[in-house]
Amino acid sequence: MRIEEHPVLDFERGEKITFTYNGQEIEAYPNETIVAALHAAGIRQLGESPELHRPRGLFCAIGNCSSCFMTVDGEPNMRVCVIKCKQGMVVESQKGKGVIRV
Amino acid sequence: MKKAYDTIIVGGGIVGCSIAFELAKRGVKDILLIERGYLASGATGRCGAGIRQQWGSKLNATLAVESTHIFENLESYTGYNYSCGLNQAGYLLIACTPKEWDQFQINLDVQHELGVESHVVDLEKDVYNYVPFINTDGIYGATFCQKDGHADPFHCTFAYAQGAKRMGVEILTYTTVESLIAEQGKIKGVHTSKGDFEASRVINCANGWAPGLAAQVGDEIPVFPERHQALVTEPVAPMGPNGPMPMVMSFHRRFYVQQSPHGSFIMGIAEDEPISFNYRSSWQFLEECCSIITNTLPALRGLRVVRQWAGLYDMSPDHCPIIDFSKNAEGLLNICGFSGHGFMIAPRVAILVANALCQQEDAIDIHMFSADRYRTGDILIEPSVV
Repeated sequence: MRIEEHPVLDFERGEKITFTYNGQEIEAYPNETIVAALHAAGIRQLGESPELHRPRGLFCAIGNCSSCFMTVDGEPNMRVCVIKCKQGMVVESQKGKGVIRV
Repeated sequence: MKKAYDTIIVGGGIVGCSIAFELAKRGVKDILLIERGYLASGATGRCGAGIRQQWGSKLNATLAVESTHIFENLESYTGYNYSCGLNQAGYLLIACTPKEWDQFQINLDVQHELGVESHVVDLEKDVYNYVPFINTDGIYGATFCQKDGHADPFHCTFAYAQGAKRMGVEILTYTTVESLIAEQGKIKGVHTSKGDFEASRVINCANGWAPGLAAQVGDEIPVFPERHQALVTEPVAPMGPNGPMPMVMSFHRRFYVQQSPHGSFIMGIAEDEPISFNYRSSWQFLEECCSIITNTLPALRGLRVVRQWAGLYDMSPDHCPIIDFSKNAEGLLNICGFSGHGFMIAPRVAILVANALCQQEDAIDIHMFSADRYRTGDILIEPSVV
């Protein structure tokens, strides 16, 4: 679901692109965040709590709360609520602490 | 609250709290510990949290080895219900000059004499079994000791403090000791922000502020405060061979870095600092620290820094602690000058001090720590400090 019309905001989303989330192809726009595209595709669980591994959804949406950590193009602990979509990017959900590739 | 005590301890860091515990354990009643902030709010809580036995002098190695044995059982030793966070992931010490490498060989002999399980690490392949992503350019050699590691400075301090409280020690936080009260060559008590307290024995463990208090009764303690900064990164999955990455430390490049059990990396460098009570953070540190450490450990480049802070080292001329019975005010004991490694040797130092005050025997002679050593020349040389 995306908001199509808004009383004071204009949405200049750009041309439609795609990226993969856990192998699944997701439709997105370059001017929206990864979280917006996932949300539109019906994906609501983003991260998990560090100790008890309980599901975490979109919470602060401004890159502060660490609720939406994912691995983006191999880089862990990315705050996907503030990262914009790019054609062909590989997004993976993150279980537990992020793994730094050596 | 009472106004008169047998013993007053000034300073609620690991040194003050462990001495309170050891004294109470030896049956000393009527102890008051006074701390300016909260427990471990000074140098203890700001330290790099490392536990190292790979020392160059027999004295420091002995103190560290025996302290490590206590850290290994600190929860049961003090009756603490939480974990003190000990994680013996090891220390990898790297030598960056031939001269430093020669010194390491001498250090190894000292350590082996005391039973420390340190050993040389082959730089061609073996080193990657300890730190899989280390850049060995410019490194001459390395030594490793598995029993070195990390402990939580807050939990360790609280463990001692709780144990002490259970044995009747009173702890007064958010109270500043403003001056010492001495009459006719004897200590009488302390003047604090919450009134005066009498005591016939005062133990001054106020870190960088200890010399200032001691000077009020005429004791000259050559210890100076020096700012040291540290930073911590976001937590990531363990990056060592079987858990967190061991401490990697270089005296020549003047840095230390280790992964805490939580997954974050704690790191710091030694900078040229003036004598000062300044403990504000600087951006210069952030830049230089990251640059030096990612040179040796390039894989850490992608990590985000979450917090940076500073604390005070209480530097003594020979980088060894001063335990000095006052000559100007009988009953005053000044303990400071740990020079950045107070946390890891505090458990044994506390036993040494408590034994001396309770006239019990100790294998180490406490008088060698006296500030007189700078006059007589019997200084305690330690070649391996950052």
